[in-house]
Amino acid sequence: MRSAAPFSGGWPAAGIGLLLLFPLSSPDAFFLDVFTTGFLLAAFAASWDVVGGVSGQITLGHALPFGAAAYACALLTSFAGWPLPLAVAAAVLLAAAVGAGIGAISAPLDGPFVALLTLALGEIAHEAAVGNTFFSGPGGYAWGGEGGIPVTLPWRDASPFSSYYAALAFLCLGSFGMLRFSRSGAGLILRAVAGSPITAQASGVPIARFKRLAFTVGAAFAGAAGAGFVLHVGRATANDLSLELSFQAATFAAVGGRGTIVGPVVAALVLHLLFQGLSLPPSARVLLYALTLLVTLRFFPGGVVGTARDLASRLGGKEGARPPRRRGRKRPGEGTP
Amino acid sequence: MSTLLSAEGITKSFGATQVLSGIALSVAPGEPVGLFGPNGSGKTTLVNILSGLLLPDAGTVRFDGKEITRLPLDARYRLGIARTFQIPHPYPALSVREAVRVALAADAGKRKEGGGTREDEEGPTEDLLARTGLFNQRFVPCAQLSQGCLRRLEFARALACRPRLLILDEIFSALSAADEGDLMALLRAANRDEGTAFLLVSHNPPLLKSLCRRILVLKEGRIVRERPVG
Repeated sequence: MRSAAPFSGGWPAAGIGLLLLFPLSSPDAFFLDVFTTGFLLAAFAASWDVVGGVSGQITLGHALPFGAAAYACALLTSFAGWPLPLAVAAAVLLAAAVGAGIGAISAPLDGPFVALLTLALGEIAHEAAVGNTFFSGPGGYAWGGEGGIPVTLPWRDASPFSSYYAALAFLCLGSFGMLRFSRSGAGLILRAVAGSPITAQASGVPIARFKRLAFTVGAAFAGAAGAGFVLHVGRATANDLSLELSFQAATFAAVGGRGTIVGPVVAALVLHLLFQGLSLPPSARVLLYALTLLVTLRFFPGGVVGTARDLASRLGGKEGARPPRRRGRKRPGEGTP
Repeated sequence: MSTLLSAEGITKSFGATQVLSGIALSVAPGEPVGLFGPNGSGKTTLVNILSGLLLPDAGTVRFDGKEITRLPLDARYRLGIARTFQIPHPYPALSVREAVRVALAADAGKRKEGGGTREDEEGPTEDLLARTGLFNQRFVPCAQLSQGCLRRLEFARALACRPRLLILDEIFSALSAADEGDLMALLRAANRDEGTAFLLVSHNPPLLKSLCRRILVLKEGRIVRERPVG
């Protein structure tokens, strides 16, 4: 879990370089749109990994902060007339608060109960979004419900290129931030909580507080992705709160390698581009996601990154740990078993 | 003699089974105390209550004069009561060094809200690893450790908070003679050099006699005998 050896060094730079160059090949606007959505979904998958991978709290309601931020952005710009940057900031804060709330409620629970609780919370929000309509006052046309709520943007018809590069920049910055968090001291403690909560607690870790932290940070990034998504598609809809979206994020994380951040990003990009780029119908996509998840869990439980690490450590003859650094004189414990 | 840890009237039942009945015990600062008893006598339940993993049905636990009966395990650790487990539960994805860093983060107010560990813990981490004989295994994943090394890691984790009281649940069971000797030396050193009191649970009377000043005998949920080691 320490280093993403297969994705360290020049690999991310090479991938980003290719993505930066891709629009120069004059692709179809459809493909640019598929990529842009893929970048936002990849950031969302990485945010799921902060909660479900790094800290081991399997959530099936991660669409809740994503959708809450999307709806907040739409409502604040369209209803309240807030300037977009302020609305986005408020939406991200709201998502973080939603995450903190979910974390507080689920902190005493473990394993499947966290998944069930978050599933229930997500579904409540989804049903509330589907079933409620708002009215725009004098104009009188309905907002909300199945049709969703439009976002008011200060620009008209953003070019696919600017959307593409903005989403790519968000993915790079967001992933970097989440990777830094997962490798920080707090991230180390979260991995301890994920691995053995009782040992972590016996080591002085207030596990409820750290679970809340994981949900809050993961939800904040999910909210940022949700705000980005609503800016891209122009409308917050109940789909932004759907179980399918949460399931997709969990699938990307499982396929890419839970707890690695980079793995879910890569898996989300590859799978989304593949399934969406082939213009498959939604039902076929869901089936393919489910099949991919089944195959991964059965044959590559560590996901792509975990399997690649295992291979690398077998070939290298080491368990993938960092080489020991010499620090000063020989220590008394050296040489003892 | 002042009291570091005291328990009064500790009672615990699981369903219809009464496991502990009105236990009273005390440990003085720096005192090495043994707890002996047959299987099923309630030793681990008592340890779980004293360390904050379980709540008693009745009774109080005090540490340094302060009531801590409802204080959870992590808060007691930060207070200076560290415990080890009869069956270690290692972190599967962390290295030995990382596992010690997690425990060190609780020490001396270094943990802040959401803060985690700090880089300046590297020196203490490596010193603790060296002291417990784990320096050469510091990059090994905890899941790959031998039983002896797992016990050493349990010990390192417990020592990380500079405890005033160690509660050691069968830490010497299923160890090689060499590992047992090393851990005994570590425990004696912590007691002698840092004045760390301990409550050592064991099935092994000679071992308890060699390490402890006083031995409590637990049988069917009651302390039936308390004898000083002469």
